[in-house]
Amino acid sequence: MNLLSAIFLVPLLAAVLIVPIPRTIRWGIRLVALMATFVSMVLGLALFVKFDAATAVNGFKFDYMTDWVSLPGIGLTIAYHVGVDGINLGLVVMGTIVAFAATCLSKEIDRFEKEYYILLLIMIGGILGAFVSLDIFFLYFFHELALVPTFIMIGIWGRGPDRNHATFKITLYLSLGALIALAGLVMLYLQSGLKTFDLVALTGHFQAHPMGEASQRLIFPLLMFGFGILVSLWPFHTWAPTGYAHAPTATAMLHAGVLKKFGLYGLLRIAIPMMPAGAAEWLGVLALLCLGNILYCGLVAMKQRDLNFLIGNSSVAHVGFIFLGIASLSLVGVTGAVVLMIAHGFLAALTFGLSGWLRQQTGTTEIAKFGGLLRQLPFVGTFLMIAMMAGCGLPGFGNFVGEFMVLFGSWQAYPVITGIAIWSALVIGGVYMLRAIRDVLHGQMDEQWKSLRDADVFRRVPVVILTVSLLLMGIFPRLLTDKIKPDVARIVASTKTGGMAKPTPSSPTKPVVNSHEVPKAHH
Amino acid sequence: MQPTHIAEYLAPIILFLPLAAAVVIALFVRDDDEQSAQFSIGSVGLAFVASVTLFLLGGGRHEIGATWLDVGGLQVSFGLLIDDLSLLMLMIVTGVGLLVQIFSKGYMKGDPGYSRYFAFLSLFTFSMLGIVLADNLVMMFVFWELVGLSSYLLISFWFHKPSAADAGKKAFLTNRVGDFGFLFGILLVWAATGTLNIGELATKLAVDPHLLGAGATCAGLLLFCGAIGKSAQFPLHVWLPDAMEGPTPVSALIHAATMVAAGVYMLCRLFFLLTPDALEVIAVIGAVTSFLAALMAFQQNDIKRILAYSTLSQLGYMVMAVGIGSPNAAMYHLTTHAFFKAMLFLGAGSVIHALHHEQDIWKMGGLKSRLPGTYRTFWIGTMALCGVWPFAGFFSKDAILSSALGNGAYCAFLIGTLVAAMTAFYMTRLVLVAFGGVPRGDGVFGCHESPSVMTRPLWLLAIPSVIAGFWGIDVYLAETLPGGHGHASTWYEAMFAPINHSPLAAMFGLLAVAFGHAFARRLYANAVSDPLPLSAGLLAKIMRDRFYFDEIYAFLIRISQGALSTVADWFDRWIIAGLFVRGVSGFTDLFGRALRMLQTGNLQTYAFWLAAGIVVILFLTLPGAKGAGH
Repeated sequence: MNLLSAIFLVPLLAAVLIVPIPRTIRWGIRLVALMATFVSMVLGLALFVKFDAATAVNGFKFDYMTDWVSLPGIGLTIAYHVGVDGINLGLVVMGTIVAFAATCLSKEIDRFEKEYYILLLIMIGGILGAFVSLDIFFLYFFHELALVPTFIMIGIWGRGPDRNHATFKITLYLSLGALIALAGLVMLYLQSGLKTFDLVALTGHFQAHPMGEASQRLIFPLLMFGFGILVSLWPFHTWAPTGYAHAPTATAMLHAGVLKKFGLYGLLRIAIPMMPAGAAEWLGVLALLCLGNILYCGLVAMKQRDLNFLIGNSSVAHVGFIFLGIASLSLVGVTGAVVLMIAHGFLAALTFGLSGWLRQQTGTTEIAKFGGLLRQLPFVGTFLMIAMMAGCGLPGFGNFVGEFMVLFGSWQAYPVITGIAIWSALVIGGVYMLRAIRDVLHGQMDEQWKSLRDADVFRRVPVVILTVSLLLMGIFPRLLTDKIKPDVARIVASTKTGGMAKPTPSSPTKPVVNSHEVPKAHH
Repeated sequence: MQPTHIAEYLAPIILFLPLAAAVVIALFVRDDDEQSAQFSIGSVGLAFVASVTLFLLGGGRHEIGATWLDVGGLQVSFGLLIDDLSLLMLMIVTGVGLLVQIFSKGYMKGDPGYSRYFAFLSLFTFSMLGIVLADNLVMMFVFWELVGLSSYLLISFWFHKPSAADAGKKAFLTNRVGDFGFLFGILLVWAATGTLNIGELATKLAVDPHLLGAGATCAGLLLFCGAIGKSAQFPLHVWLPDAMEGPTPVSALIHAATMVAAGVYMLCRLFFLLTPDALEVIAVIGAVTSFLAALMAFQQNDIKRILAYSTLSQLGYMVMAVGIGSPNAAMYHLTTHAFFKAMLFLGAGSVIHALHHEQDIWKMGGLKSRLPGTYRTFWIGTMALCGVWPFAGFFSKDAILSSALGNGAYCAFLIGTLVAAMTAFYMTRLVLVAFGGVPRGDGVFGCHESPSVMTRPLWLLAIPSVIAGFWGIDVYLAETLPGGHGHASTWYEAMFAPINHSPLAAMFGLLAVAFGHAFARRLYANAVSDPLPLSAGLLAKIMRDRFYFDEIYAFLIRISQGALSTVADWFDRWIIAGLFVRGVSGFTDLFGRALRMLQTGNLQTYAFWLAAGIVVILFLTLPGAKGAGH
């Protein structure tokens, strides 16, 4: 079987495998889920290692295609087409690692385990399937396949009195976003007249025969806002902190860490290469809106009294940097954005994993009730501190590399926004992260936490894996950037000429952004 | 790049030894106090030996590195640069670090976080060596941040104490404000020149001095912001006094000798980037800091805080030296200051240790006879700090004063002389009150001298505090940094060089010391309480309350960033999540109801709706596809 297919089919098959297991054999259910995600993770790592050696077809490696639905009468074919390049490689690998970590941390679930693990595995399979698919039909289908379990899991296994409201809100927003994006995708399909959903074919077509500027200007914002809502673009972000605060740990980890990246991936993979003129028109708006994430959500995070809401808002703020990198349309900025997508995935999983554990142990995430936990919980405390430090852009972690590249890459196109973003990354991020450390981990500990026990091995393994991943990214960024760079260069170059331009090597003194193509932000 | 010269082999070893120690302690021996200390001290000791070896093998400029990041126009290497400047700094950091760690072995005995302490110290040493060796701006920034982290960890080492936890947070965040400027400055330099390598930058700027264009001053000043934060210059000086919440050896190593010197070191490294306008601002900031901090030191009663304000003041001195165009003198003073200030802090640590954590000098008194070793070394340190001939501080301070005169910076000269007098005043006060007179606290009676593991490092630091003035540090640096005037060839020539070279500066310096000392002696000899508040009244209170900087900043933050975040939070809660979302949900009420109906928790229903949805989509798109096809 094709390696890429195996990565997402193993969890889906495991979901089927769990069905006949009696619900009383809980360890069996859990074992199947753990094995499946572990195998998927190993396959993901193998993919990463073998990536450079694989031959590329149309720029994609491990390319595999077979017809799935063929309707000769109307000439429509939907193909099963998978492949990876530098853009989605890291996302797939990160996804498999987060999936394994999330499954490990699912030990907290104590009711309807069977249904839970089935849904979890469907969600994982859907996420990974979406990121390897090169056919828009499957891309969208797998995304929905992952999204639906998300809603159900929050509704059933979620916590807090407001979880129904949270479920309602997240479902409403994400369905709306997906619907708007769908409208855009359908219009894209109609515009091409190719009668195929194949991403490679469509991209090639639109680069050879650019779509009319008026259509681009209309369709691009549909995708931008549709995908944007899925990634909590300001001001459509409020679902995220609420949703994650009430979600079960694994769901929050998987959605915030991996599934959410789908919108960004769609923007980069579909919207920008197919509609460069639309992008030129609208990316300035995106850059302005992302300031809402970077600055505004950072300020909001400073005020939160609940640890999960603080983390949720900071996660939304970090997404703003990814938007900024994409909006810069420079080689450095977009590469940084891709790096940051991966780092953000690890970090979101790590922070939600730790805070979820804390909530399960203490029954609360209210910051004021904590304090001094570092002494009682040396392991969890230390790693929470590491996560907070990674979150405020400390060098040594992948997030620093990503943010650093985004800032350097977007300077040319959006100097003022970049300046504010530096302030936000270093100072505002520092303020809320250090406040969290101060109030949760440092200081005097309340008597009631005297009986807390530190994490067991099932919690330690995923936490260590995620942290090591972040460190590897931060210390050896070229592991990723060398793989990402060529494919980003192709996208960036295609937006410059509107045609099939070859990536031009950029000279250091002439940064990659072509200022007349990218609108300056209006200040 | 393949290493070819021995320096290129040794530099990475020096850098990574302490990191290795930190990792080993954290992962393997964290339950074994003794081994933790051995690993930490051993690694910094080896690094020191390697640094001295490099120095003895002779200078030369060596660079080694590997590409860390290479995307488009952004090329960053993990590069190490070994030249006279970094070599000097390597020896200071590892040398002082070694002695401080040995001292810590005694000072921290019995602390439950003993291993953690040494792991953090090793992490700090690694980060600091990274700044010293960095050959490009990004690496420097990376280690800059790591130094900020290790300083944070060490200040809030006793994190269960709210004051220590708050102090650590304050230090980190204040530094972050400076780092904002630093990173912005790096960005501007890169955007203008296309390179981040310091050597390359110097070459490019030598070819085309106007390469940085109109933003040159701005870029220089932004980089200087980093130094303002790390070297605790006005107006970001507020974190350093609070940082005294950390263990005293930490104050000696990090908040006196090395980390806070990083800002000055960075300015010397990047001196070629700074325009005359930028230098002028730097000189003013340095002068203001040194003067204000000396004033604030007048009325402090905590032995560590007096030394902290003294450090601020001396750092201001160094920054001022850079500003008047004499980085050579700045580095010179940095070196001598590292020795005697580390020793003074360790001496204070020895006193605090003996008195069971009493830090108020008015509860000391009469320590002269009870802690003889500590007293003598403290006395040497004070002489050096005040700048009494022939102690080391005299020479480096004189280098600054004479270059101020030589460069026509008379204001700087006046402030420098004034600060010299003030330094003599508050240090004399400290020594007289703490060590002289009669015991005023109960703790004094039973106290006895610290163990030799603590007093020996004091003596070892006393040696360079006395003789570092005739080593010819300025001559050694003269090739790398402008501003030096040394041509003395022998040590006894060097001893009298200042007086021969610029008698006016030397005279003024010594007179100032004598004046400050005499004044303090009049007030504080055998005093039982501070007479100054009575005579100076309000002024003394303002000095004691540190000119209300903390209160003013708290207010400013509250009305700016604090208010903004309150508004944002309110807006988020009530407008976006409230009106907006309810509006949307009202608008799509039907949609919402349908969803709620859908949300049955029944898997089959979901599967059904998903499939139905796909069918509907296909149905909708297919006829359209037909139409578009024609």
